[in-house]
Amino acid sequence: MTPVEIALLVFVVACAVAAAALRDVLASIIAFGAFSLGIAAVWVLLRAPDVGLTEAAVGAGVMTVLFLLTIAKTVRPADEALFESVDPWALVTAVALVAVLATTLGALPAVGAADEPVTGGDVTTYYLENSYEDTEVENAVTAVLAAYRGFDTMGEAVVVYAAGVSLLTVFGREVFG
Amino acid sequence: MSSPDDGSASGDAFETADQQPAPYVESPIIMTTVRVVTPFVFTFGLFVMFHGANSPGGGFQGGVIVGTVVLLLGLAFGIETTREWLGPHPPVVVVGLGVLVFVGIGTGSVLLGGGFLEYEAYGINHASKYGIELVELAIGAVVAGIVTGMFFAISAGGAPGGEPE
Repeated sequence: MTPVEIALLVFVVACAVAAAALRDVLASIIAFGAFSLGIAAVWVLLRAPDVGLTEAAVGAGVMTVLFLLTIAKTVRPADEALFESVDPWALVTAVALVAVLATTLGALPAVGAADEPVTGGDVTTYYLENSYEDTEVENAVTAVLAAYRGFDTMGEAVVVYAAGVSLLTVFGREVFG
Repeated sequence: MSSPDDGSASGDAFETADQQPAPYVESPIIMTTVRVVTPFVFTFGLFVMFHGANSPGGGFQGGVIVGTVVLLLGLAFGIETTREWLGPHPPVVVVGLGVLVFVGIGTGSVLLGGGFLEYEAYGINHASKYGIELVELAIGAVVAGIVTGMFFAISAGGAPGGEPE
């Protein structure tokens, strides 16, 4: 790992812990926004700029604004403690869960390894070799998203639509706001 | 909001529980910045949507960026003002149109004898490229409308059928 990657990962983990531990909700939201921005940079380092763009726009941008709108309707806790008090059993459970999940990390191929199925698999090779002739777009991610797997993407768009409809249903309105 | 221990410290606490909607502070710096930045953000959002075919990006990302324009306006000029300026219907209309366009393009190619979203069935030159651009635009419309709508809905709160105070 390069020093940049190490610094970024330390930053991301620190922001995540701060977002969970800070007592002031506003400070917690700011830490969460910084966490999302760090994760977006991690995606770019992992050569997934499409996902990085989404994380930066949704996670760091829109979600922060929506959270801020939400806490504007809440009341700040009166005491002055900086950090949330931690339940030791919850902490132990969370750490144990992460430890169990972390045992699968050894089975993952190294990032960018030549023999991993993502880079050398039949499906990937087919997309990379044929997507331009088939769909006339240069971004293979878009080709998969809007042409090869277009039906799935329609499902995604309809899920977003359904989320909006359910929000309106919960609020008992026909239009937003 | 009454704190029994120290009545002096209540000044720095948020007292937004009884002042609806979300507090709005008019700031010339923010208003000017937003006024300058907004056209560029909007154009960049459209660029991400259209250019997603050839570079990172696409409808989901571009739609969020376009939706951010309304959020910026809301933060700078007040959410109520922006809501009145935009009117109640555009987010809902845009979302519905986006879904209809996407589903229409997909099923249209089936009606013409191809598979779902088989753009070549339309028989236009470069049908695939234009079809993908149109689908990205439709996705962007759905996402931008939902982001805008959620912003207004959350700020208005959940009073059933009622206007925000």
